[in-house]
Amino acid sequence: MKIELRNVSRSFGEVQALADVSLEVREGETLGLVGPNGSGKTTLLKILVGLIPPTSGEIVVDGRVPAPAEWPRLRTRIGYMPERVSFYDNLSAAEVLSFYADLKGVSRERVGPMLERVGLSAVRDRRVGGYSKGMRQRLNLAQALLADPDLLVLDEPTSGLDPVAIREFYDFLSGIRRERAVSVIHSSHILAEIEGRIDRAAILKDGRLKAAGSLEELRSSLNIPLRLILSLRGAAGDLGAALAAEGAYDLVAGNGTIEASVSAGNKMRVMSVLMHRESEIRDLTIREPSLEEVFFGVD
Amino acid sequence: MSTRAVWAIAHKEFSDRLRSRWVLITAVGFTLFSILIAYFGTAPIGVAGFQGFSLTVLSLLSLATYFIPLLALVLGGGVMADERDRGTLDLLLACPVTPGEIVAGKYLGLALALVGATAGGFGAAGAVLVLRMGFAGIGSYVLFTGNAVLLGLVFLGFAFLLSVFIRERSKVMAVSVFLWLVLALLYDLGLIGLLILSGGRIPGGVFAGLLAANPIDLFRLLGFLAVGETKMFVGLAAVDFPPALTWPVLLGVFLSWIAAPLAIAAAAFRRRAREGFMA
Repeated sequence: MKIELRNVSRSFGEVQALADVSLEVREGETLGLVGPNGSGKTTLLKILVGLIPPTSGEIVVDGRVPAPAEWPRLRTRIGYMPERVSFYDNLSAAEVLSFYADLKGVSRERVGPMLERVGLSAVRDRRVGGYSKGMRQRLNLAQALLADPDLLVLDEPTSGLDPVAIREFYDFLSGIRRERAVSVIHSSHILAEIEGRIDRAAILKDGRLKAAGSLEELRSSLNIPLRLILSLRGAAGDLGAALAAEGAYDLVAGNGTIEASVSAGNKMRVMSVLMHRESEIRDLTIREPSLEEVFFGVD
Repeated sequence: MSTRAVWAIAHKEFSDRLRSRWVLITAVGFTLFSILIAYFGTAPIGVAGFQGFSLTVLSLLSLATYFIPLLALVLGGGVMADERDRGTLDLLLACPVTPGEIVAGKYLGLALALVGATAGGFGAAGAVLVLRMGFAGIGSYVLFTGNAVLLGLVFLGFAFLLSVFIRERSKVMAVSVFLWLVLALLYDLGLIGLLILSGGRIPGGVFAGLLAANPIDLFRLLGFLAVGETKMFVGLAAVDFPPALTWPVLLGVFLSWIAAPLAIAAAAFRRRAREGFMA
């Protein structure tokens, strides 16, 4: 399923939640939607699910703009996991999933295997009111996956989870993606958590899409420097000056080390210097800009 | 409209009320109150004991007039606010169901609970009364029970209407109590005032229309008709029954009172869902 927002804006009274956002979720990819709290992530996801209409702009699904009456049918192909949901405390996990199976028009026979998959089969008959946050999130994911959606929309899916539960969540998601080509868009404000787990990132700030692309594309387009860390065999001598002459900057010379920032444009020239003076260098570490650095590099 | 989705929502709402024992407690309450009122209803005129179904119905009218609307308003008042507070409203709307199906399912589920409690409660009391008084005049009691069910369904529709328009449950409850106060008490006081000020010269059609405009008065009228009364009480005053208000007319207006608030609630919910509930 390919879904695209074209020049989408959304206001709530005087507050502009989204301004002229154009973004696509490609078939089979995982797109990370990153931004601080209040940047418009949840609004964007709700627009993608058809819960909120845009004030202006359009949503294109598989190449055409669906009419409002088509959204209920389209939602059979979208699994939505909202950030905060407490479900019905008086029901068991099996009853909750059976309820959503009926609403989504799928067989109740899927409930058992799905609970097994998310690791809740042992507590399937226990009331959801007694579940931990992690168990509720797994149940939340289970309801989103129940109808085998083509697109998974996850709003801060690991919010409030402990590190073990976070890892389990992403492992489970990877397992799903290995089995079938499902597109995933998920929002987060914890950048380190989703780095390495997404194909592309879209950066939202103040309701505006600041950048979108793979981490490589973002680093390149934003010209965020990489960081070189040299461990030297002896004294630095004029090595720092030689690197600076080729465009390295922010040089910090330490006890047998030199650190420097190098822009993507100067990378090869600086590497050439290092190749020529290989005998002076014991070790070299190149640290690529993290998603966090990319995020803060965006205006 | 997907009947499976409507039924799934209705089944959940009804099951919730069964599990919480709301249906049972309410039914038992109706049964006990009905038997007590049937026995002591004529105590103010110095007689205690079971006096037949007609007098029982007249005594029960007051209980039902005040209690059933309140019960229905409380039952349905939080129906949307609770979903919003739990965060499940977005999940419901993100499923392949229409807003109309959500309203229909919720109304159907709560209506089943209300009908079960009302019919079950009055039905059980009726069975006890039959054992004591026999079947004579039971038709009026059956009609009364049916009218009581309809009255509950009217106010359940009002509760849905308020729940759609007002976001917070506490505010829904406050407005519900005010609505109940107006329709159950103040409206009739206003009618009496109007009769006094006009010297009783209000045209029959206008008066009939004013009575039909209040579902609680409609319920009273149907109750009086059920026992063959030709006079009715408006507040503390006894007035002649408006001839225009026949059984079919009253029943038609009563059903309209069920359909209209529900239709408005469904349309409003659909509109709000289309605009997004955050707006």
